[in-house]
Amino acid sequence: MSTRALSARRPGTVDRVGSARLRVVSMLVIAVVLAGMVWSRLAYWQVAEHGRLTMQAQEQYREYVELPALRGAIFDRNLTQLVVNTTVYSAFVSPDQIAAADRDRVATGLSTVLGVDKTKLMGVLESSAKFAYVQHRFPKAQADQLRALKLPGVGLEEETQRAYLPGFTAGTTLAANLLGFVDWNRDGKYGLEQQYQKALAGTAGYISSYRDLSDREIVLGSHTHQDPVNGSDLVLSIDANVQYAAEEALAEGVKRDKAESGSVLIMDPSTGGIVAWADYPSYSANNFTQTDPALFKDNVLSYLYEPGSVMKVVTLSGAINAGAITPSTVINDPGYVKVGGYNIYDWDYRNKGNIDYTYVLEHSLNVGAMKAMLAEGHDAYYKNLQAFGLTQPSGVDVAGESYVPLPSASQMQDSQYATTSFGQGIDVNMVQMLSAVNVVANGGKYAPPHLVERIGNQVNPLLLQPQRQVVSPATAAKMTTMMEQVVQNGSGWTSRIRGFELDQAGKTGTSQIPVNGKYTQSVWASFVGFLPAQHPKFTMIVVIRKPNYPGSEHDWTMNDGYLTAEPIWRQIALAMVSDWRITPDR
Amino acid sequence: MAVGAVVIVLLFYLAIAAQITQSSYDLSRLQDQQRQLIAEQDQLRYQEVTLHAPAQVQQQAAQSGMQRIVPSSYAQGTEVAIDLTSPIGDPPTDTTPLWLRAVAMVVNTVGGTKDVQAASKH
Repeated sequence: MSTRALSARRPGTVDRVGSARLRVVSMLVIAVVLAGMVWSRLAYWQVAEHGRLTMQAQEQYREYVELPALRGAIFDRNLTQLVVNTTVYSAFVSPDQIAAADRDRVATGLSTVLGVDKTKLMGVLESSAKFAYVQHRFPKAQADQLRALKLPGVGLEEETQRAYLPGFTAGTTLAANLLGFVDWNRDGKYGLEQQYQKALAGTAGYISSYRDLSDREIVLGSHTHQDPVNGSDLVLSIDANVQYAAEEALAEGVKRDKAESGSVLIMDPSTGGIVAWADYPSYSANNFTQTDPALFKDNVLSYLYEPGSVMKVVTLSGAINAGAITPSTVINDPGYVKVGGYNIYDWDYRNKGNIDYTYVLEHSLNVGAMKAMLAEGHDAYYKNLQAFGLTQPSGVDVAGESYVPLPSASQMQDSQYATTSFGQGIDVNMVQMLSAVNVVANGGKYAPPHLVERIGNQVNPLLLQPQRQVVSPATAAKMTTMMEQVVQNGSGWTSRIRGFELDQAGKTGTSQIPVNGKYTQSVWASFVGFLPAQHPKFTMIVVIRKPNYPGSEHDWTMNDGYLTAEPIWRQIALAMVSDWRITPDR
Repeated sequence: MAVGAVVIVLLFYLAIAAQITQSSYDLSRLQDQQRQLIAEQDQLRYQEVTLHAPAQVQQQAAQSGMQRIVPSSYAQGTEVAIDLTSPIGDPPTDTTPLWLRAVAMVVNTVGGTKDVQAASKH
């Protein structure tokens, strides 16, 4: 074969070989691409979507059941249970699982037991819905009746609900404004239920297990189990019997005086533990969904008011402690005093002449309070307000405290110092005011106000802290004597309790309510006192808002604390004397 | 022989599996029963607590015709003048029979009447 001949055949050979290679390469590319597509799809499902698919599979054959923690109970100081967890039921239907022939029987059964409208129910059963609630949260007795009927396509759901004790007024529960309630999401709302949500609620557990085709749990199958941690019980300083007596006296008093509202707060003088915390009007925490939300507000802690003459206890105590005055210091009271360009008067506008400070407190004279404050000096007086806890929140362990910070000492006008000395121009809540007066009852020490004595097995750490000495025991003793004189000779006479006439301390307060910068003839009337005066078992404050005492339409001073708040204080004190077996010291 | 053994093992396995499934259903049923009993217990506890509640006590007391009493009252009495400076008189005479005193001495008990004891103290 010649070279020419070979070279003449080469191009054709090259063509065939190149075409075959191209085909092979093309096939390989296609195969690789196809394999790549399959692999990438596999990788997508196996890697990228692994988590989601696993979860979907788990959802199909595994069951996750939350094990709710049991919410802690709340007890009073005598371990009377104030709140109980109960089980309630909700009924639901699955209309697509109810045969047409059974609908009437199901509707009849449900309407008979639950009292729902049968016609409406038939409408639901005839619909194509897969699920519908029939009724929410009914008691076990009705649930048992439903179970006994064995109605097809009807199911029951369990829920835990808090049940509170009945209060004095029909349609209320005991200490509703203090305790608050728990909503359907198991969240505490208002009061202690909100404040101690974390401690009371505990931590939910769970069970994760297999279930069969009939959706029944296979208990012995592979499963994980985390026990719930139940909530802690709370032991309060509240006394349920005293609370009830307070609610009773308050409700009767507010109605009698045609007042807008009223509140009572009682404290253990030596510890600061709150014994009773009552509001009127109140509500039923068992029926919070049907309650006007305005009633949820707790007026003890969130309603700010001007304390009026009750503040004179603080003013005079500070002045005595500073050595600026003594109970027998004599001043001249012409019935008014000019401060910062304003004339500020006693409540009766009368010239008293020369009087001592015991008389000032007995007859609640503004001029005397202002002179005591001036004798002490602005700076010392301001520090006095701070020491008595009136310039900061009380810190009581209940949700929703309101307070208005006082301006700094240098920012306060002379006239504001003057009015503050007799309790006007300063806003406080009842816990702040009672804690301040309790300093006198507690030998000059500030007892931090609190409700919770124990959380589970733990003592409230607040109780272990030393109490702050605000005024000397000697000052407290002098003020106690002066407050005894208020009951014996002054405006506290309507609070007198038989047998305790010589051993009872108190002070009234009546302050006009400002509206749009002007004082009106509506008042906050209050009375604070402790019993027995020398060794107090309790300190109590009663505040009545906007009373309308008979005759007050002609003379607004008829709404004074001694006619409105004091009788309520007395009624509650009588109940406590009886219940706590209190005897006078002299 | 081997097939028979396998069949026996298989049957045994099936029996055990069926037993386990049955037990799991029993447990499930008992758990449901337990839940119902707990619910009933809660209900009873609330009833018990409510029966002790002040509102209930007051209502029951009112229905029984009971009334609140005034916690303190003054006892009526006649004033007796006591002269604290007058001398203390002779102690009361011990009227205990002599034989009883002798017996008391023997059995080592305190002799005398209560009046004597009171008078002889301090």
